[in-house]
Amino acid sequence: MTNIQVKKVSKYILWTYLVVVCLFTIGAYDKLFMKTESGVSRLVFYLPFVALAGGLLFFYTRLLQKNGEKGRRVIGAGFFETIHKYRFLIEQLVTRDFKIKYKRSVLGVFWSFLNPLLMMIVQYIVFSHLLNIRGGVAHYAIYLLCGIVMWNGFNDCSMQSMRSITGNSALITKVYVPKYIYPVTKVFSASVNVLLSMIPLLLVTLVYGLFSTPRLFLKPSVFLLPFGLLFLLVFCIGMGFLLSSLMVFFHDIEFLWTVLSTAWMYATPIIYSLSMFEGKEGVQWIVTLMKFNPLYHYISFVRTIILEGTSPAFSEYLICAAFSAAMFAIGITVFKKCQDKFILYL
Amino acid sequence: MAEEKNEVKLRIRDVSMRFRMEEDRAGSLKETFTKMFTKGLKFREFYALHDVSFDVYKGDVLGIIGRNGAGKSTILKIISGIMKPTKGSVERYGNIVPMLELGSGFDMDLSGRENIFLNGAILGYDKQFLKNKYNEIVEFSELHEFIEMPLRNYSSGMIMRLAFSIATVVEPEILIVDEILAVGDENFQKKSRARMMELMSGGTTVLFVSHDMNQIREMCNRVVWLDGGTVRLQGPTEIICDRYRI
Repeated sequence: MTNIQVKKVSKYILWTYLVVVCLFTIGAYDKLFMKTESGVSRLVFYLPFVALAGGLLFFYTRLLQKNGEKGRRVIGAGFFETIHKYRFLIEQLVTRDFKIKYKRSVLGVFWSFLNPLLMMIVQYIVFSHLLNIRGGVAHYAIYLLCGIVMWNGFNDCSMQSMRSITGNSALITKVYVPKYIYPVTKVFSASVNVLLSMIPLLLVTLVYGLFSTPRLFLKPSVFLLPFGLLFLLVFCIGMGFLLSSLMVFFHDIEFLWTVLSTAWMYATPIIYSLSMFEGKEGVQWIVTLMKFNPLYHYISFVRTIILEGTSPAFSEYLICAAFSAAMFAIGITVFKKCQDKFILYL
Repeated sequence: MAEEKNEVKLRIRDVSMRFRMEEDRAGSLKETFTKMFTKGLKFREFYALHDVSFDVYKGDVLGIIGRNGAGKSTILKIISGIMKPTKGSVERYGNIVPMLELGSGFDMDLSGRENIFLNGAILGYDKQFLKNKYNEIVEFSELHEFIEMPLRNYSSGMIMRLAFSIATVVEPEILIVDEILAVGDENFQKKSRARMMELMSGGTTVLFVSHDMNQIREMCNRVVWLDGGTVRLQGPTEIICDRYRI
């Protein structure tokens, strides 16, 4: 990378940090300004932390600019170099996927909004009116929609990225491109849809909230939604690495995964809620088990933001981040181990 | 030799490529497991390349000749980085544009214009470069009025013309060519041949696989003769080609 490009990257890093801090401050303002028992607001801890992290980041960008001098390599410089180098390719592949998806449909991109909406109406009627599985959940329609949007996002990402290596075999055997580009771009193009489906989610919440009793209003906590999506995205990339590399060696994964993901869907409180199990004998293990279900944490993260209008507990951020990081680490390790063998099996 | 004073562009050292030919490949989990327990997975090892070493210098037009299955395509794939050799190393000094199969990565549902950018990105060109060269690509491919049409409506000749125009718009330092010199009708064949000659004479290092001895004699200054995965002979074109005939 040239000097100007490094400066640009540094600028991006610092701006991203600023945006993250702003989003978090606005989104979690009620918790931040709230006074704890000892009578001091949490800002006392938060502000120095923000300043410290910012300072460290600034120091890091300085280091980046010195990368290569005296033969030293800064950690992460290689990562930014590959992103910089293949940014255009990723951009092109994502636009291709997006264009192809709706190319021959009349409503086009509009389907991204319409699909989750229609799905929600069907499931709402079935589960709320026919089967009556509300389980005493307030604002069940919104509760359901949050679950559906997040789950569909995950399902879409994992399905698409699973086929990313086998589906691009014609390219992989002809041109050299780092192979991790393929699962990553598939997750990106699927997550564009997740982003778009946030719009009907918020719109429905707005409209629904006006007519429901008790009223439900969107609070500034919606600014925390990007964090939930980011956790999900990283988790999906990890999952995509794992599934796509297994898929090369065993095509059975494709069939196995449809079964597994259906089982996983029913094991996640999307249509039901954990409060249904309260006070019932012999089912407490389900509640315990749920602590180990990453999707449960991502979905309740979003539900807390929208339904309770407040920031999730600090521990929830840590749990979600830990799941994402763990999945990413597992995925990339498996992928790195296998990627040189892909070509022999495609 | 005079070339050896030049700088090295490619250094191929002791490259071996081993393929495992499983008696019948286990394509599913069940098969792998059952085989692991019953008789074990059987492999027959097969070396497509065995200790191949040669250097390519700046400005060389190197021909690779040999019979079918001699390992020509495998060595090209290893040099372009698509395959990783089982043993040995390839050092590359300069950007490589492989023209192994034209038009891989084209999407039939996208228009010609969109495909120029997609295919260009796959070949490693950057955005600004493609924008600048866009007119040149369209001009060369002679597809002016069809460029906004989806590729599925193109004839195969038109697709090849577009692919050739995208691949040769760069002036790469190392160009890898696997017998694709003639595409399209007679007129375009002439044009594409001229373009290849222009690229080759412009100081680009070229690796070139062909079965056409006349073409090899005409274009290459050095030749590597592969036989059964090893280098049988290498040296100046005339000497090797005369021996190869025998």
